[in-house]
Amino acid sequence: MSEFRPTHRPALGTKQTVSSAALRLSPLPEGTIIHVLAQPGEQDVVSFLGRFTKSPAHAVRPVSPGQWFIVHDEPMPHQEMKSLFATLEPRATGVDQSHGRVRIRIEGKMASRALSKGTAIDLDPSVFPIGQSAVTLIGHIAAHITRVGSEAFEIIVLRGFAESLWDDLARMSLEFS
Amino acid sequence: MTSYRLPKGGLIDRQAPLSFTFDGTPLQGLAGDSLASALLANGQLLVGRSFKYHRPRGILTAGAAEPNALVTIGRGGRTEPNTRATMQELYEGLEAQSQNRWPSLNFDVGALNGLLSPFLGAGFYYKTFMWPAPLWEKLYEPFIRRAAGLGKASYEADPDAYEKSWAHCDLLVIGAGPTGLAAALTAGRAGARVILVDEGSLPGGSLLFDTATIDGKAAADFARDASGELQSMPNLRVMMRTTAFGWYDGNVFGAVERVQKHVRDPVNHVPVERLWRIVARQALLATGAEERPLVFGGNDRPGVMMASAMRAYLNRYGVAPGKATAIFTMNDSGYALARDLEAAGVDVVAIVDSRPSAGVEYHGKARLVREAVVCGTKGRKTISAIEVYRDGRKETIAIDALAMAGGGSPIIHLACHRGGKPVWSPEKAAFLAPEGLKDLAVAGAVAATTGLAACLGEGAAKAQAIVKDLGLSCPPVAIPNVDGDEGADPGRPLWSIPGVKGKAFVDFQNDVNLKDIGLAVREGYSHVELAKRYTTSGMATDQGKLSNVNAIGLIAKARGVSPAEVGTTTFRPFYTPVSFGALTGAHTGHHFQPVRKSPLHDWAKKHGAVFVETGLWYRSSWFPRTGERTWRESVEREVLNVRKNAGLCDVSMLGKIEISGRDAAEFLNRVYCNAFLKLPVGRARYGLMLREDGMIYDDGTTSRLEENRFFMTTTTAYAAGVMNHLEFCAQALWPDLEVRLASITDQWAQMAIAGPKARTILQKVVDEDISDAAFPFLAAKEVSLFGGALHGCLFRISFSGELAYELAVPAGYGESVADALMEAGKDHGIMPYGVETLSVLRIEKGHVTHNEINGTVVPADLGFGKMVSATKPDFIGKAMLQREGLAAPDRPQLVGVVPFNPEQSFRTGSHILAKGAAATLENDQGYVTSSAYSPHIGSTIALALVKNGPDRHGEEVVVWNGLYGESTPARLCNPVFFDPQNERLHV
Repeated sequence: MSEFRPTHRPALGTKQTVSSAALRLSPLPEGTIIHVLAQPGEQDVVSFLGRFTKSPAHAVRPVSPGQWFIVHDEPMPHQEMKSLFATLEPRATGVDQSHGRVRIRIEGKMASRALSKGTAIDLDPSVFPIGQSAVTLIGHIAAHITRVGSEAFEIIVLRGFAESLWDDLARMSLEFS
Repeated sequence: MTSYRLPKGGLIDRQAPLSFTFDGTPLQGLAGDSLASALLANGQLLVGRSFKYHRPRGILTAGAAEPNALVTIGRGGRTEPNTRATMQELYEGLEAQSQNRWPSLNFDVGALNGLLSPFLGAGFYYKTFMWPAPLWEKLYEPFIRRAAGLGKASYEADPDAYEKSWAHCDLLVIGAGPTGLAAALTAGRAGARVILVDEGSLPGGSLLFDTATIDGKAAADFARDASGELQSMPNLRVMMRTTAFGWYDGNVFGAVERVQKHVRDPVNHVPVERLWRIVARQALLATGAEERPLVFGGNDRPGVMMASAMRAYLNRYGVAPGKATAIFTMNDSGYALARDLEAAGVDVVAIVDSRPSAGVEYHGKARLVREAVVCGTKGRKTISAIEVYRDGRKETIAIDALAMAGGGSPIIHLACHRGGKPVWSPEKAAFLAPEGLKDLAVAGAVAATTGLAACLGEGAAKAQAIVKDLGLSCPPVAIPNVDGDEGADPGRPLWSIPGVKGKAFVDFQNDVNLKDIGLAVREGYSHVELAKRYTTSGMATDQGKLSNVNAIGLIAKARGVSPAEVGTTTFRPFYTPVSFGALTGAHTGHHFQPVRKSPLHDWAKKHGAVFVETGLWYRSSWFPRTGERTWRESVEREVLNVRKNAGLCDVSMLGKIEISGRDAAEFLNRVYCNAFLKLPVGRARYGLMLREDGMIYDDGTTSRLEENRFFMTTTTAYAAGVMNHLEFCAQALWPDLEVRLASITDQWAQMAIAGPKARTILQKVVDEDISDAAFPFLAAKEVSLFGGALHGCLFRISFSGELAYELAVPAGYGESVADALMEAGKDHGIMPYGVETLSVLRIEKGHVTHNEINGTVVPADLGFGKMVSATKPDFIGKAMLQREGLAAPDRPQLVGVVPFNPEQSFRTGSHILAKGAAATLENDQGYVTSSAYSPHIGSTIALALVKNGPDRHGEEVVVWNGLYGESTPARLCNPVFFDPQNERLHV
């Protein structure tokens, strides 16, 4: 079946963007998410990773001590990813999570109010500025939140929970729609 | 005579009439009314019947502490019993019903209880209904519950939405009265992030009925302007209709916001209630004080009201309590009320003051009766007269309304929710909040500060100090000028009143009267906690907000000690009742728990899968086809097809963990009880993970894809647990090992392709050679698919005992690859199969799952004794595995079981008895852990843990199930029922 071309089916492919003047909830393209795990004791890993994320379309999101996500809207070809993983070694290990995690964007002046219905994180810009990330629960579902704009957040969630989280976020946004 | 609406005054909108009903009678109120004020405006003094004696009750307060005016609001699923009429805002179409009466509020048969009241004192139930014991549940309790009670909940589903939310602030101000407003203004102007909560619909608290002026403005206007300024500040959030109900660790406050409880038809995209968790760096309690009732005979008669409440109804709602009012006071607050009543044209017949002189001057028309008390009241369903006791003589005065002012009890509840005990202040005659509370200050009346100017000043000063503590600069605070401030004399508490005639109620909601308290003390229940339980004083929905301090004062007097020595009962959340809806939030129905979907969910769905919830996952259970009438028929077809042709099963939900790093192999060698250090690259191995106590924790295969990169699978149920366990091992047990762990469960769609034709089918999509020679049993590697269009991982492992593979592909491509495999296998008879078939196949092969790995078994119990490494220096569980008991010969061990008669069956969970043995605990030989009907064996087959099982193959036993009354003769046997030589694995 070498002529067969497998089709990619996004986890939130059937979901429509929820949009109002105060809030917009949209699934992001299932591009690339690379989980970077630094070798213990490694210093300046963020600047090291910077060389792989020079394009503005790439971004590095802190996950936990010594761990980051590199995210990108476009999928990364298999060989390119292998090369990247090789380049990361031995300072860090790369693990492909492009299909394991799904990204959702929520933005608008009521975005943080809607998110506060699920997360205990203080999303005020004074304590959660642009670029800040945190792993948290949104309701019952573990997720990773990053402030990507003054009124915009990106959520990364396990693929299996993506649909459920989307439904929760849509419900949390109802008041502002 | 009765209460009525005044022609002018109040904060109500006289141009906006609202229609409502009470017990079906159409009535009219005004926008801005509470249900209580609207009822009073309509002359409805009688609003309920008391809990025990069914005494007529009226409206006692104007706020959250109301014990009497509890009504049922709404209908159908929106029925809400025990709603305080004083807290319920009036809306067009509101339907209210009185409670605890039959057949009607005016004629209540239950009032006969009042005749029996001499026999129904405190402890009556405990003394009377002790025997015969079985009658308690069958007769006494149902009868008592029917005779006494509050409102009834609806059996219909609540149609409304609820939700929860978090909020964060530098300063949380609880209470938007004068103190809270001053504090919020001060902190807000300084730039602090402030949240101001108040349970009322309008900010202002007592300002809404105070007649003083502040900086030349009416108090209510000052409140309105202050609120306007606060709401204009971006750093300040004003949350009205929000009750802060609890103070919790981390300076988190629970609060419930009644978002749509004041509207007739809630819109469905907004919750009716929202439960807030407010995280505050600092908090200021400005909750004010609750006025105490006075305990005299007939103090519960409709028409008797707290003085502050009467003032609120008069000044805020424009409602007069009656035509001829009396005031019974022990401090100066009664005089302010008298002045306001007279200003509104309401006659004040008498002011009965327990003191020889007042702290304020009074020039009104009312008769002043000093050094006197009201000892009783008269009237049937409303008050008609009071009896005044003075110098040993009683005098009857005709009135139609009575206000009582018994002093203030600071509302310190939240300050005591984290273990702090209230402290009695003899000077203030009140229980105060404990001092030195971390990150919580109190100000205003809650700190027993009296007088409007003092409260405004204290609120501002406390906020200023907090703002400075927060590291912000605070501009100078200008204290507003107050004109018409009232007296500051707290008065001497008046616990007991001479000459009391009739029932003098201490706790209105529970019908606890003066005599009950005395009886409790005499019978040895004088400890405040015992007295509460013996008399029920301080229980039920109001939790003694009005009664507790009086009860303590009376106990103290009876014991001859200070209230400080008696102390209080324990303050716990919630301050006022919170609905289950708010506590549940949005987690109902579809949102009760998250759904975790496999990447092959839609693939399974289009093949007609019946799903089963396993944890949060939805797994395909079986795939029924046309003509199949039972699940067994579908499963037998699937089982036979796997053994004959091939099947495809979604195993994506198995836990998957990538383990990498220089010491990854050594790490695994310590985690598993069997050897992993020398596992070759490209090979998979079944591993057993033990707990420290030697019992098996989890099992699965782990494959070495590269020298320092492993792909571990765990069971579905233990995926998260194993990940946590490995993290603990890496971070806490062996931080010296260089190892990294990443959960990759969701990255891969994984499918098992099992059956004699599996290779033929799979080879059509896999680019590499997967012949037995090139890719033998337990091979594992990354593979290219569809001519390099996709890359995945292939494992030659088998849970079914057939020639089988597990193929992992990036999850987004899972459905497409499964489609391709079904297409590739179409001519080879491939069918999807679910977890039921998977289970039958594995039981036929004697493979274990967590049915057998149930926390009580060591490897040898399951026949894995030889897997345990004898040469590794250490692994988790090694030390404890040496315990004598874990090697005892009579341990329950894995064995197969089949019924003698293939027509008979038995169930998982049944126990094994020796043939002819009685079904006793002593004779228990073990139990069935898994069972299924095997189409290959033609009968039920089972795995069991049986004492000394491996040595008893062939023995006849009885499979006994006491729950179902089943006894099935059966035979113990080899747990591998199919292909015991594993020949099919290696083709």
